[in-house]
Amino acid sequence: MKVSDLKELLIRSLDKEEDAGTTASKLEEAGVTFRFSEGFLEKILDRIYSSGSSVAHEIEFVRDLNYVFYRIAVAGVAAIVVLLITLFFVQGSFSLNSFLGMGNSYDESIFCLLTGN
Amino acid sequence: MIKGSYRQKSENELIKATLDGDKLAFGEIVSRYQKMVARTVKSMLGDSVFSEDIGQEVFIKLFYSLSGFRGEAKLSTYIQKIAVNLTLNEIKRRKRFFSMFSQKGNNEMYEFEVADHETEEKKEASEIVSKALMNLDPKFRIIVAMRMLQGYSTKETAELLDLPLGTVLSRLSRAQQQLKDILRKL
Repeated sequence: MKVSDLKELLIRSLDKEEDAGTTASKLEEAGVTFRFSEGFLEKILDRIYSSGSSVAHEIEFVRDLNYVFYRIAVAGVAAIVVLLITLFFVQGSFSLNSFLGMGNSYDESIFCLLTGN
Repeated sequence: MIKGSYRQKSENELIKATLDGDKLAFGEIVSRYQKMVARTVKSMLGDSVFSEDIGQEVFIKLFYSLSGFRGEAKLSTYIQKIAVNLTLNEIKRRKRFFSMFSQKGNNEMYEFEVADHETEEKKEASEIVSKALMNLDPKFRIIVAMRMLQGYSTKETAELLDLPLGTVLSRLSRAQQQLKDILRKL
């Protein structure tokens, strides 16, 4: 089916008097198909018959976890970038000491404090 | 996987066998209706891993609610209702989760992964329909998907979505206008 014909069919399909069933089959003939991946049936049967009744809640929990992870990951990366920028402006470098909040001059004073000299 | 004898069984026989613990009987139910569920879920959510998850969830929910199915409606309608509800819930859930990251609509979150097709022409047809659907407002998209892809009449669509007929008709007309604009740009 030509693109222009397909577009016309899609628009016409929403006409009140148009037979919706005909459009659906015409679209399928044109190659408009929606299907699940291979092994879809096996996955469902595995999930139902190999696990307990908590399977539906489990799926929801995993999906929630994915979303939360995404949310936390983006927020975490943003926080790290802000921290790095702040450190750079305050300490002037990205050295280990600046991460630990110690200037180079602190080394000697810590040594003195520990040894008493 | 499903034996031929199951293909000849009626819906009621398959339901009864499933409730008696027959795994293959439920497999036959899934085989019969997975295409219908794929049309609803994938046309609404796009072709992504999440759509597959929702598709699986539809049948898992069906399995656990099968004992409460009284047969007042057709099994296909019952499954379709589960698919519509889970899909709409998923859209709401995505909207909630992604709203803090994007000021735009959540259409950008959907993935386009058009499945393999025999010819380029068919692939292009599938792409056009998927893109057009994904650019529609979700409240119009569900109506378009039910009518255009599932072949439900306006009355059946209204019943399935628990909406007044007038609302479906007005949304249908607005969806048609929006679809025209979208298709002009594609």
